[in-house]
Amino acid sequence: MTTRIGNWLDERFSWRQVWNAIFIRKVPKTNWLYTLGSASLFVAVNQIVTGILLTFYYVPTPDHAYDSVSYITTQVPMGWFIRGLHHWGASAMVVLVILHMIRVIYYGAYKFPREVTWFTGVFLLLVTIGFGFTGYLLPWDQKAYWATTVGTRIAGTPPFIGDFILRIVRGGEELSAVTLARFFGVHVWVLPATLLLLVGIHLYLVVRIGISSVPKKGE
Amino acid sequence: MSDNLNDPNISRRSFLSAAIWSIGGVIALSLGIPSLIYIMGPALKRNQAQDEWVSLGSKSKVEMGTPTLFKTTIKRQTGWITNEEELSVYVETDDGRDYIALSNICTHLGCRVRWITDRDEFFCPCHNGVFDKVGKVVSGPPPRPLNQYETKIVDDQILIKVS
Repeated sequence: MTTRIGNWLDERFSWRQVWNAIFIRKVPKTNWLYTLGSASLFVAVNQIVTGILLTFYYVPTPDHAYDSVSYITTQVPMGWFIRGLHHWGASAMVVLVILHMIRVIYYGAYKFPREVTWFTGVFLLLVTIGFGFTGYLLPWDQKAYWATTVGTRIAGTPPFIGDFILRIVRGGEELSAVTLARFFGVHVWVLPATLLLLVGIHLYLVVRIGISSVPKKGE
Repeated sequence: MSDNLNDPNISRRSFLSAAIWSIGGVIALSLGIPSLIYIMGPALKRNQAQDEWVSLGSKSKVEMGTPTLFKTTIKRQTGWITNEEELSVYVETDDGRDYIALSNICTHLGCRVRWITDRDEFFCPCHNGVFDKVGKVVSGPPPRPLNQYETKIVDDQILIKVS
């Protein structure tokens, strides 16, 4: 049955060609370190799914944020599980992305013709860190509040433009409802859109160019 | 999966393919099932608030034979928010011993009914529903009588059971 549906669709837009180009392509002999990129992607998908689920109950305002998060963790069935996956997935994501980058540096995989893949990867690291920074404020507990106070103060340290940056990041002089709302907006709209765009380019290039093999001695 | 698993030339590929699909399936289910529970859980949860006796006030305020309006507030928990909800209850007695307490919410579509003294009936302004003084439907669209609360008298105070 599935084969027949597959054939029917394939006759119309030959999706198997695309499938084979992505999954049945030839790759050089590699090792387990080459799975770090896929692992990052896997965790990213986990973050997207659990993040969407969290928005079912989370409310990004000072009078509801903390209560809605503790409602998710203590009242909603499986809420602790979904939030736990998102919480630990966030840390795992940062670790995996950095390990993936170290592997690419160590094997020299960023060199010609893969520079653009590398550039998008660097921006993806920044996006991941941005997710971590904005997401940290959302539970609106003491740790979140003071971590963001410190984090935004650091953003305000450059000479001349520091105060301007601080105001933009906080949405005013102080950490407030405005800050929480814009961190939420960035966390669930701006960064995910950027992430999907960059991951799309990144993966297209990985498939199009192919991956580099483990460098040999003296290379 | 037409590959024969006993064929040594194909077994590795088909084994790995089957392994990937099964592990993927297990991961999808172990996220998918909790997700469904997570989404549906609070929606399907019945109001667990325990029955509680709420005092409306002194029974001497009730005029014999005329439903009298009492107002009280109760606490209700919805999600993570505790609300103070105002409860309006008509209390009626014919003999000063048996009291009935009627909800003022119309059983048609939830508007508030009020007692019209001149006509001796409850009237709902939304769709002209009419109830008599013990809550029975007289005319109009309401499908059933006004809801009644269980009542008891303690120290001359009227108490109703709120769930």
